[in-house]
Amino acid sequence: MMPIVFMITTSLKDSDIARQMPPKWIFTPKFQNYMTVLVGGEGHSQGFDRLMLNSIIVTLSSTILCLLVAFPAALALSEATFRKREFLSSWILSTYMFPPIVAIIPIFIFAGKIQALDTYPVLAIPYAAFNLPIVIWILKSSIEQIPKEIEEAARVDGANGWHYVSKILLPLAVPALATGAILSSILSWNDFLFALALTRSVAKTAPVGIQEFTGMYGTDWGSLSAASVTIIAPVLIISIIVRKRIVSGLTFGAVK
Amino acid sequence: MNNRVNELDVASATSSVKLARRQSEPAFPKKRKKRNGIYWLQMSPALILLLLMTIAPAIFLITKSLTNDSLLSSNSNFVGTQNYHAILTDSSLLHSARVTTIFVILVVLIEMMAGLFFAQFLHQKTKANSVAGALLIIPFAVAPAVSAMVFRELLNPNYGWINYFMGLLGLPDQIDWLGNSFTAWVALIGLDVWQWTPFVTLILIAGMSALPAEPLEAASVDGANAWQIFRHISFRLLAPFIGIALVLRTIQAFKTFDSFLILTGGGPGDSTSPINLEIYRVALQSFRVGFASAMAIILLVVISILTPLLLRILSRATQNENV
Repeated sequence: MMPIVFMITTSLKDSDIARQMPPKWIFTPKFQNYMTVLVGGEGHSQGFDRLMLNSIIVTLSSTILCLLVAFPAALALSEATFRKREFLSSWILSTYMFPPIVAIIPIFIFAGKIQALDTYPVLAIPYAAFNLPIVIWILKSSIEQIPKEIEEAARVDGANGWHYVSKILLPLAVPALATGAILSSILSWNDFLFALALTRSVAKTAPVGIQEFTGMYGTDWGSLSAASVTIIAPVLIISIIVRKRIVSGLTFGAVK
Repeated sequence: MNNRVNELDVASATSSVKLARRQSEPAFPKKRKKRNGIYWLQMSPALILLLLMTIAPAIFLITKSLTNDSLLSSNSNFVGTQNYHAILTDSSLLHSARVTTIFVILVVLIEMMAGLFFAQFLHQKTKANSVAGALLIIPFAVAPAVSAMVFRELLNPNYGWINYFMGLLGLPDQIDWLGNSFTAWVALIGLDVWQWTPFVTLILIAGMSALPAEPLEAASVDGANAWQIFRHISFRLLAPFIGIALVLRTIQAFKTFDSFLILTGGGPGDSTSPINLEIYRVALQSFRVGFASAMAIILLVVISILTPLLLRILSRATQNENV
């Protein structure tokens, strides 16, 4: 817990007491640091407000892309009549082991050639791809749990395939889609390596951007902590609320 | 308490239904062919995206690894396996492979043992434990880049909290944590253990609360002591969950990058520089693409040797618990 306590208390302290040793436990909390940070400090390649905006855009677009691609795939993989399903499922699972650093070199070179470095898609597409295995498996294991009788009943009632998927299966899969969306968002939001390698300033995301705070503001721990708290707060709140889903999702649905 | 047994019955029943379905299918060969086409169509966006991010880079890297390409010059010569020779005889690269291996083994071992230990205490469903469960998810939620930065400040020899608290406890309080290689290792492993042990614990807690009570009760009636019960019964029943946590953590530990770069920067010297960081530096800071590609290919080969093993553990575990 100490790192969290440190971060939160420091973010509320004035710069003159932030580094006092022993740490000052009783002080008047000030939100000055948050104000400074949120209106965008100077001296960085990007203000913190812009970094957060970038993080939000990249996270949302990669998550939407990931779900759009994952859902039909999960549908196919949960069909018992699909002959290659076993093979494809385990191949998809095995891509989870693919080290991101290995993909980054070609992406960097290719994106450089088409002038796509430091744009949103160059982050959003790899994020979507690297989160795909987890999201497909989450969706697949939940769709497989929907009793076949429901589909048969729907067909007897004259629903065609598209009708069944959109009117019956999709609503039943909403919890799994939500889990997939949350996990994929958290992983994209917290990523550091891709953003470090593939962005310079325009599309830089918050976890990379705040690293500059240390260099530039050698002593301004208040701002840095305020920025850190701002970055982790949304993830923290969501994670606490849906922690069972997160554990279940990250273990590919194996833990209930 | 028969829940689990029933679940298994249901599971085997559904899988035999699936099997029956599959066997009866050839009655409509034409229809099946058509449907398989639709399945492939549904799969295609995902497959294209995944091929684009895994197989395509691998092929690209293999071709690059046979050249001396650099982003700084337009010269490109075919050099054969020269890069691979250089890597396999370069002691500093072998060193970074060793750093990665030691890191993975140590953090996974420590996190599994600590996770088992904590889960023993936290798995009963009490109010206090559900609060603990909420607290346990916190380190997972903190972006690794942020936690590495906070650790670096906490470990600062002049104003960091860690030395201060060690001083309060009467321990040495003048440690330059990141200044020598042993304590830098301690710091790195400490950070990873802080970040991930709670998550391992949550997986194991979920496993323990799904355990059937009878075997445990029977064993204690038969006079087994706590250690024997744990060793012979809980541990065996928990095996799938331990397997999942182990595989997950091994994979993630191999990918660890943020904490090395931010906390120690691979230093002091190159004492804590893992293979990921080396590849990053050679490729994106020295721009020696050919050489970095060869390194990346070697890493890929090693990982693909490990993958089937990890997958087998994982699929066995998911089948037992899921189906």
